[in-house]
Amino acid sequence: MQNSTVSSSKKNKLKKITNSKGFSAFTAALLAIFLGLIFGFVVMVVASPANSLSGFEMVLIGGLNRLGDVLYFATPILMTGLAVGFAFKMGLFNIGASGQYTMGMFFALYAGFMWDLPGSIHWIVCVLAGMVGGMLWGFIPGIFKALLNVNEVITSIMFNYIGMYLVDILIQGNAVMYVSSKTRTAYLPATAQLPSLGIANSNVNFSFIIAIAVAVILYVVLHKTTFGYELKATGFNKSAATYAGMNGKRNIILAMVIAGAMAGLGGAFAMLAPSTIAGSSMTYEPINVIAANGFTGIAVALLGSNSPIGIIFSSLFISYIQRGGTLASLYGYKAEIIDVVIAVIIYFSAFAMLMNATVIKLLKKRRDKKYLKIIADVPDSNNSHQIDKKEGA
Amino acid sequence: MDTLYYLIQNTLPVAIPLLLVALGGMFSERSGIINIALEGIMLFGALFGCLFVYFVGGTPMNPQVILLLGMLVAAVAGFIYSLLLSFAAVNMKADQTISGTALNMLVPAVLLLFSKMYFNSDGITTDVNFYIKGVPGLRDLPVIGKMFFQNTYITVYIGIVLLVISTVIFYKTKFGLRLRACGENPHAADSVGINVYFMRHAGVGLSGILGGIGGFFYSVGVMDGNINGHTGVAGFGFLALAVMIFGQWKPIKILFAALFFAFLRSVAYSIALIPFLDSFHINQTYYKMLPYVATMVVLAFTSKKSRAPKAEGIPYDKGQR
Amino acid sequence: MEEYIIEMLNITKEFPGIIANDDITLRLKKGEIHALLGENGAGKSTLMSVLFGLYQAEKGEIRINGKVAKINNPNDANDLGIGMVHQHFKLVEIFTVLENIILGVEPNKLGFLQKKGAREKVLMLSEKYGLKVSPDAFIEKISVGMQQRVEILKMLYRENDILIFDEPTAVLTPQEIGELMKIMREFAKEGKSILFITHKLNEIMAVADSCTVLRKGKCIGTVSIKDTTKEELSRMMVGRDVIFKVDKKNAEPGDVVLSVRNITVSSETHKNNAVKNVSFDVRAGEIVCLAGIDGNGQTEFIAALTGLEKLSNGSITLCDRNITKASIRTRSKSGMSHIPEDRHKYGLVLDYTLEENLVIQRYWQPEFQNLGFIKGQAVRSYAEKLIEQYDVRSGQGPITAVRSMSGGNQQKAIIAREIDKQHELLVAVQPTRGLDVGAIEYVHKQLIARRDAGKAVLLVSLELDEVMNVSDRILVMYEGEIVGELDPKTTTVQEIGLYMSGAKRNLVKEVENAK
Repeated sequence: MQNSTVSSSKKNKLKKITNSKGFSAFTAALLAIFLGLIFGFVVMVVASPANSLSGFEMVLIGGLNRLGDVLYFATPILMTGLAVGFAFKMGLFNIGASGQYTMGMFFALYAGFMWDLPGSIHWIVCVLAGMVGGMLWGFIPGIFKALLNVNEVITSIMFNYIGMYLVDILIQGNAVMYVSSKTRTAYLPATAQLPSLGIANSNVNFSFIIAIAVAVILYVVLHKTTFGYELKATGFNKSAATYAGMNGKRNIILAMVIAGAMAGLGGAFAMLAPSTIAGSSMTYEPINVIAANGFTGIAVALLGSNSPIGIIFSSLFISYIQRGGTLASLYGYKAEIIDVVIAVIIYFSAFAMLMNATVIKLLKKRRDKKYLKIIADVPDSNNSHQIDKKEGA
Repeated sequence: MDTLYYLIQNTLPVAIPLLLVALGGMFSERSGIINIALEGIMLFGALFGCLFVYFVGGTPMNPQVILLLGMLVAAVAGFIYSLLLSFAAVNMKADQTISGTALNMLVPAVLLLFSKMYFNSDGITTDVNFYIKGVPGLRDLPVIGKMFFQNTYITVYIGIVLLVISTVIFYKTKFGLRLRACGENPHAADSVGINVYFMRHAGVGLSGILGGIGGFFYSVGVMDGNINGHTGVAGFGFLALAVMIFGQWKPIKILFAALFFAFLRSVAYSIALIPFLDSFHINQTYYKMLPYVATMVVLAFTSKKSRAPKAEGIPYDKGQR
Repeated sequence: MEEYIIEMLNITKEFPGIIANDDITLRLKKGEIHALLGENGAGKSTLMSVLFGLYQAEKGEIRINGKVAKINNPNDANDLGIGMVHQHFKLVEIFTVLENIILGVEPNKLGFLQKKGAREKVLMLSEKYGLKVSPDAFIEKISVGMQQRVEILKMLYRENDILIFDEPTAVLTPQEIGELMKIMREFAKEGKSILFITHKLNEIMAVADSCTVLRKGKCIGTVSIKDTTKEELSRMMVGRDVIFKVDKKNAEPGDVVLSVRNITVSSETHKNNAVKNVSFDVRAGEIVCLAGIDGNGQTEFIAALTGLEKLSNGSITLCDRNITKASIRTRSKSGMSHIPEDRHKYGLVLDYTLEENLVIQRYWQPEFQNLGFIKGQAVRSYAEKLIEQYDVRSGQGPITAVRSMSGGNQQKAIIAREIDKQHELLVAVQPTRGLDVGAIEYVHKQLIARRDAGKAVLLVSLELDEVMNVSDRILVMYEGEIVGELDPKTTTVQEIGLYMSGAKRNLVKEVENAK
């Protein structure tokens, strides 16, 4: 008797976890990832059957040899993932993460080149400048939506382009920042660059630590503060939030500013990364291209269910398979394969929850059928308490 | 005066893709499905259209015939790609914005992948010359001749024809009436026996056809028959959404909105020819921002009274009453 | 048997987790007016939706004139001559009257609409049955009464012989209800057969030939109206004797708590104002009821009063404080509590837990947060206290997802929250909508308790029984104005009806100027 109650309480705990929203989001993400990878494999087979197995193997485990790089490349998309995911919690689609990211890069570059500050604080100021740039570019769609009822998707897209052009103009016009013969920015002074974490063969640096810390802070804000409470309420039901006296306009603007800050930090982190070669740094080519990391952030956010902690993991995962993808080029595959995989993952994650529910329903149906069979098969009362045990489990 | 003719000649081939894609978006959203994937659909249609042109380019066919056939290929390609959206949105009741974004991200990646693998470049370039210096006969008409029948592409004429067809279908047919009902009150449509799922598939399908054609016309009229995975369709798919909203989801207003933006873009690229503006010596890139800034200004003033299709974005579920 | 034009035999219809129709049998004779009676959630609408082809039953069969019929969608129903006027009109707002009528059966040549013939037919039908409509008017601009006539014309246009009406009188004045009944009797004389769903006993007794009663998904029985009484029908409907009157002692009104003057609110859809120059007072210790047909400005007035919408003119004073331009939060802090009309849209965040919803009006107070950080334990104990005090039932207590709670308990949660917080004025808008009899009794008790505790209560209600039984003073709203002030002790339902339809007005007693 004792055993059955202990085991049944353990099983109840397991049931609680499997029935929780977080778990089903997790399995939904796994399902989407699985389908995306399968699709990628099929593409590889079509492109070059002979190399497909080794290519795919690279995608799956290549990242293990490049863990430093995994962390390094995860950092900017962790930030843009937070930028998209945090806004999503409020029901806003921050497709403008690219523009905010680019602004962040520019502001960081500006602070790096134009301001002369002692080494210990220069990079901190550059990081903060990047954040401010992103905040500004997040503020704009926020205010358009809050005060003028303009859809934030359109505003963000427009300002992605406006930001891109503006930054390129400003860089090209600045003799200190720009080396026209190379069509690139000059090398940033060492004081502006982020401190490295010293892991061999990679640029992974302190920004990764900051990124994790910021994600944790956002988690706390969302779940433990009144601001987070208001944010989620507004995202779930805007009318009820208004009814309860919440200041919808202020919250929209605040949420977009914070989201913009995240993306701006991402851009700053990317730009201020230390180089392994002394005297050099990251450079930027102002060639009128929208920052890809802004769109990858959407994938990161969706895969992480818009939760800051989930986003930490999804950014690591995507960075991981991206490393694998670049290694697969050893077998002749182009790195764009991974972009295809990521796009497919997002497509499936859009209805992964639903697919999940269908799969679970099918499994439950089979389990219920099994029980009905068991009950039907047992005729006499001697075995009645065995049935009870099975039903209670 | 010559400058004006020049500007108009440059505006029309740019306005047509915007117009067609915005019309496609209109059909989709008026049936109830938000279509963020227009950018991806355009590029997908352009990809296949250009591929067709590339393979057929060597043959002695008349370039305009190649263009027409390429248009059909692009239409079919756009339609097939849009099935991915309609499946996700209508059958799986998935979030339409997310599905649309995924489809947008997929195409540039596929295009780059494909081009790098088979063409060793970032896109597809074709050699066929679609440019029309002048339509025989019509080119000599006073005023109109220079405006509409010289230095142009047949995409403009096809586009106008498609606009007329779309407007008639939208307002004067049984199909159009039912489509609009599904985007306003799908439960009402269901209750009189209309198959809402089918109508929404049709709406998205039309946006696929028009989007594919629009994308191909973009590559013909704006990119001279080429398409590139990095620049894609330069945000035209998103601009088309703005045109659609500015045009309040109505065909004729959409036409004017498309002309407005295309004109501004033409001005942006032709500053050197406009002595008045050229004298300011402003960096040309500022003018490139003009269509986007103008969009924002217009939206700022018109969004307060904006009236979107009531049921758009909400997946239709028979069970809810 | 051929005397029945429709037979629904042993119909069972299930939804996930609930059996909406459980083995129900209903028979309709030709030329009969047959009522379908039951409380909210009894399964009436579901049964008719099965007949109309919107749903398919899991078990049972339908026979038309003795022959088995498969009705898979509204087109099949239409082909069999069955038409339905829905409770929530299924009209496309941006279309015209004519377009709505022909939608689904559009006359066309090769797909191109041919409206002329349709327009003539509509005008002919409109004349014949006295259903006044303007074929080219847009639905969003016409009155609710005309909208219903459009729904009826939809059926007549399709030459339906079997007409289903789902709660047709909910939005009509007593005069319009009389007209509708006349029309129904004419249809019956012509040989059309009518099914109408309702929970209003007066109407059934006045116009129906027979009545089938449903309760909780099961068929309780079918009776002939001339052989039964209101009391018997009501007993069949609820399973016990319903107390039609509410027990309460006399009101003792004190100081003025709420004072509204010259309130004018513009309408989103019409050129006229939705609320025109409304002025009245509510005192402590009294329940004032704003009565009227839905759509006469009550919603807009309440929105302006609570701060959800802006008013164009007028002033609002609460406890001597001018709150005309105050934010919603300030109004709440000044002593206003609001039980909203739409509990899913305004009253609750369905994706939040019960405790998160219970604290939504107070989470910013020092009791529940410190420097912006929520005090989880304080929220939990507050929720537990309210749950116990107000008997709010849920699957898992404070952490239950509110979406999974029943309508009655959701409403209890809202009431608990709004009553428990500090207030001097309680605004309750249709607080018993969609609730079963037990829950309705509970709500009425709470409202009266508030009044006895010296609070001011402003009740907005569409149910005349509720208006008569619960309120101390009745203000009737018609087309945005207060057209009459009545005493429930001396007035009758008929008299209220006359005011509600604009047939009668009295000069509202001069309101004392605010001090």
